[in-house]
Amino acid sequence: MNFAVIDWVIVIAYLAGSLVIGILAKKFVGNLSHFLVAGRELGLHVGIATLAATEIGTITFMYFAELGYKAGFAAFCTAMISGIVMIIVGRTGFIVSRFRELKLMTVPEYFEVKYSQGLRIVTGILVAVGGILNMGVFLKIEGQFLTIVSGIDSKYLVAVMTAILILELVYTVLGGMVSVVITDFLQYVLLSVATILVTIYAVNTAGWENITNKVTSVMGAGGWSPLENPRFGWTFLVWQVLLWFAMSSCWQTTAMRMFSTNSPTTAKRVMTWTGVIFLGRGMLPMLWGICALVILGTGPVGSDGSPTPMLNGQPIEPIEAMPAMISQLLGPGVRGIVVAGMLAATMSVNSSYLLGWSSVLSQDVILPIRSKMGKGDLSSKAQILINRVANVGVSLFVMFWGLYYPLAGSTYLYLTITGTIFLSGAFVSVVGGLYWARANVTGGYAAMLAGAAGAIIPFFFLGWDANITGFCAFGLAAAGLVLGSLLGKPSPPALSRATP
Amino acid sequence: MRAWEIFWTIWLVISTAAFALITVVVTVKGFGDVRRMLRGISAGGSDEKP
Repeated sequence: MNFAVIDWVIVIAYLAGSLVIGILAKKFVGNLSHFLVAGRELGLHVGIATLAATEIGTITFMYFAELGYKAGFAAFCTAMISGIVMIIVGRTGFIVSRFRELKLMTVPEYFEVKYSQGLRIVTGILVAVGGILNMGVFLKIEGQFLTIVSGIDSKYLVAVMTAILILELVYTVLGGMVSVVITDFLQYVLLSVATILVTIYAVNTAGWENITNKVTSVMGAGGWSPLENPRFGWTFLVWQVLLWFAMSSCWQTTAMRMFSTNSPTTAKRVMTWTGVIFLGRGMLPMLWGICALVILGTGPVGSDGSPTPMLNGQPIEPIEAMPAMISQLLGPGVRGIVVAGMLAATMSVNSSYLLGWSSVLSQDVILPIRSKMGKGDLSSKAQILINRVANVGVSLFVMFWGLYYPLAGSTYLYLTITGTIFLSGAFVSVVGGLYWARANVTGGYAAMLAGAAGAIIPFFFLGWDANITGFCAFGLAAAGLVLGSLLGKPSPPALSRATP
Repeated sequence: MRAWEIFWTIWLVISTAAFALITVVVTVKGFGDVRRMLRGISAGGSDEKP
């Protein structure tokens, strides 16, 4: 164990504090709107904190560090694209402003407003499947970080991650978005402090000149230019731009923050300032990965072209290099703060994602199917109960899938492809629905199904490169929307406004 | 390659400084937002602000 007493005190105090605060927030949940979108009372600063915390997890640090280790500074292009696209979306209000005006609670809900209840259900299923598969690998990666940095024996990994998941589940199930927002705020502060501390320690230890020299000697021009790096290139860059426009506007967990703000203007400002944070969200952990390359990248060159990281004379996986480096750098107290910060990052993401995907399952699949079967409306209390049950169900799946699915290749690419399953079709359908009068139900169905097929078949069955798959999915979704809409019958909006 | 080195170094400095500064501002002002949010939920009033 690498932990001193002070480290345990810090971590346990943080975990206990989070649980207590999260449970206390339950008393503010009076109706479904409170549970799913915090009564639409989110202000600018807590909005920024919760959006940033939701999309900055230990998984984020791990996969970006892995990308930095393998691709050097060229990987920074992904961080720049994410930040700049979010700033553009925030400044223009592209999609997010209109979504907030409609008082939605989930992204698929829009599909019933514009298209039909049936398309809402199909979209809900794809969103839930893609989102839950996406989340499915979080636990394992997060557990790897924790065991390496704290020195806990890996045989306790399952128990530790299960305990953390249960802790998040308790306050998410009880307090919904109110609990999640308040704990996100505190978690954002802690993870930001941890991020800055790790950056200082890592760069100070590795040395800036060593960092630049190592990247050049290992990767040449490909370590600096995303156009010359074989992992990236123009197809990757264009796909990432499309993906980030889609994620900023149609990723359920991000969109839920927009839906929770106190006005469309606040939604835009939250998106803009969080976009600025996203520059650092990507670049800083990538820098840690590059530092790990300097400090630990001394082994033979692996099949992916990067030197095998070595720890105490033993080879480790590139994804383990960053946490291994941190375990060597930090002293007592600081290690506790960093681990607490990483736990904060883990919990903020997991709680938000649990709420996000379970809300889609309950609001966009279970309840609409009930409605189609002719059953009457449920009370707010009953709907909250269904949300809570869905939350538990998603947790159980995540626990088993996460710990047993054999993830091959880059984590970042697995995550972006599983997201693309529904994002490609959803983004295209939303853009068409908001900005093209001709978009209709037939086009919407074609877009969703073509986008999903375009992501699943090439990547999982044909073994195509992720860049080409991503491109293909968006292209097919767009073609589906246009052709389907032109061939199908015009359809008036199914609802004039969303359910209040 | 030198041009890329300068480019990424500048962006790294900008992103790090912005990350730290926004954290400070959000931390200080966020507590007020949480209080207002809870007050608004408790009041159960209109959720639309101008």
